[in-house]
Amino acid sequence: MESPLIVLENITKVYRLGAEEVHALRGISLQIDRNEYVAIMGPSGSGKSTLMHILGLLDRPTSGRYSFRGQDVSQLSDDELARLRNREIGFVFQNFNLLPRATALKNVELPLIYAGLPAEERRQRARAALEAVGLGDRLHHRPNELSGGQCQRVAIARALVVNPSLILADEPTGNLDTATSEDIMQLFNQLWQRGNTIVLVTHEEHIARHAQRIIRIRDGRIESDTRYDVTVQRQPTGGLECLDG
Amino acid sequence: MSRWVELSEALAVAIDAIRANAFRSLLTTLGIAVGSLFVSLMGWFLYGLDTTLEQTITLLGPDMLYVDKWDWSGQTRWEEVRSRKDITYRQAQELISSFTGAEVAVPLVDAFGITVSVGGRTTKDLAVVGTLSTYGQTPLGTVQFGRFLSAVEDRYGAPVVVLGYLAARELFPRENAIGKTVRIAGHPFTVVGVLEQQGTTLAEFIDKQVFIPLLTFQRVFGFAKRSFTIAVKAGSEERMEQVRAELRALMRRIRGSPPGAPDDFSINETQVFRDQIAGLRQAVWGVGIGMSMLSFIVGIIGIVNIMFVSVVERTREIGIRKAVGARRSSIALQFLLEAALLCVAGAAIALAVGNGIAALIVLAVPQAKFLTPYIPPQHIGLALLIAFTAGIIAGWTPALRAARLDPVQALRYE
Repeated sequence: MESPLIVLENITKVYRLGAEEVHALRGISLQIDRNEYVAIMGPSGSGKSTLMHILGLLDRPTSGRYSFRGQDVSQLSDDELARLRNREIGFVFQNFNLLPRATALKNVELPLIYAGLPAEERRQRARAALEAVGLGDRLHHRPNELSGGQCQRVAIARALVVNPSLILADEPTGNLDTATSEDIMQLFNQLWQRGNTIVLVTHEEHIARHAQRIIRIRDGRIESDTRYDVTVQRQPTGGLECLDG
Repeated sequence: MSRWVELSEALAVAIDAIRANAFRSLLTTLGIAVGSLFVSLMGWFLYGLDTTLEQTITLLGPDMLYVDKWDWSGQTRWEEVRSRKDITYRQAQELISSFTGAEVAVPLVDAFGITVSVGGRTTKDLAVVGTLSTYGQTPLGTVQFGRFLSAVEDRYGAPVVVLGYLAARELFPRENAIGKTVRIAGHPFTVVGVLEQQGTTLAEFIDKQVFIPLLTFQRVFGFAKRSFTIAVKAGSEERMEQVRAELRALMRRIRGSPPGAPDDFSINETQVFRDQIAGLRQAVWGVGIGMSMLSFIVGIIGIVNIMFVSVVERTREIGIRKAVGARRSSIALQFLLEAALLCVAGAAIALAVGNGIAALIVLAVPQAKFLTPYIPPQHIGLALLIAFTAGIIAGWTPALRAARLDPVQALRYE
């Protein structure tokens, strides 16, 4: 059996805010396998964002062990983390985080630049990624010429373009209307079905319901970790609301 | 490979950042621009001076020595030089006949304020020099048209003259001078040659000489109360010291200098021109360096300031780039290049202005004619290099700050 993609063992994170110590995470242990679709839920201040930053290698835990693809990454240097983020992790943020002055194509090319790919290959792969998210006709538009949903698709294309082991989405529908949110979630479903591993951070129950597993965080600890039937996930989204109740 | 990709990205980002804030960038780079202007103008002036000086020395012959009553370097006291006895024809003759260690040794004697005329044109500007045909073997005796004096003309004191370049221009502005008759102090002379242009702006007098055979000179002007100069071509610069020592010993004996007494003559070299402008050179250098340092310091402070602003403005962008895999060095490079390009752009503007100033000065100021009407490429390169370095210095701290930003904090920045 293949080793898990992510293993967290007793991860803690302590911030210092002036004289005060903030215990954002108080011992998180969990495993995420390849091709899992996980939603991390929790109220604000629960530590779910901190957990996402650590999972995404944007931040280091104060203590505990984090192994990513079998490699201990808890104490890597900034540049080593940057290299891993570049190749292994695709981020999708609530506020899209696109470069405002760059075209969709240029935005999607960005991770490939830091991977050191030559221009021609970058362009081809970025174009393919944008076509895969349905924006083949918006390659040369800048973010301010795109709708919110389109911006998020660009961000998803940017996350996909390096073929990452993990796609991390932080409230990806937080700035979108309901219909657009559903479109974006359908896109995540498709990515998952194609074999991607997705970790979704959200506080919205109906968004989390798209996932196959929901981890609830409260006060820096895991409150619950529930797996749902995969077949249910593949039902049309209309039926999901009913299951909730 | 991957480094080149990052470098070209950093360059593209830097150019884009500067263009996005074009006006602010222009103002910021003003200090650097002024500094570059000073550096390039100073370089331009010193370059012009040095080039002209070297040309002059080369033309006069770097291996030429002139045994003379007068001291060219100005190192001997004026009263002492003035009280020296003239070098007589006999002494010159004796020195030349007993000295064998040089390629050429030839006597020169001159007369100033002599009326020289052709048709209606009359001038007293020219120096009339009596010499021998062997002077034609020194660099200063190179003819452009016709020939130099001949040995036969030496012997019979023929009424022939060789004109210096400017002398020929003055007397024969349009016609060919060869074969024409010139009146020197009323006596008719046939022009047999015109010399190549020798002097530069620093030494125009060289081209305002006319040469006649020594014997002819004696008949027309006489040798009384005239001091001779002996021009000696050592053959090579390496031989200069030896030739100088031999000349000195011989000359002291000929002049009957008692042991221990100072020389009552000078052995001049064309090199002394270097010493003469050393003071000017230093003054220009000092002022130029001072002014440009000041401007660069002010400029660098301005750039540091604006780069900090730029880092803050683009915190979110830095976060995004870090999230997708930019290393510290990639971020630092981006800001370093932005600062460097800002400075280079300032320098480029300054150099365009400087070129205009240089052209204008050369056009408008007659004394500056010896300078090039443009800033030489190597000084443009130097100014750009200095500006680039200033940019790297200015961008260093802001770039490091950007590189060390925590990606989580940077992504949250509003």
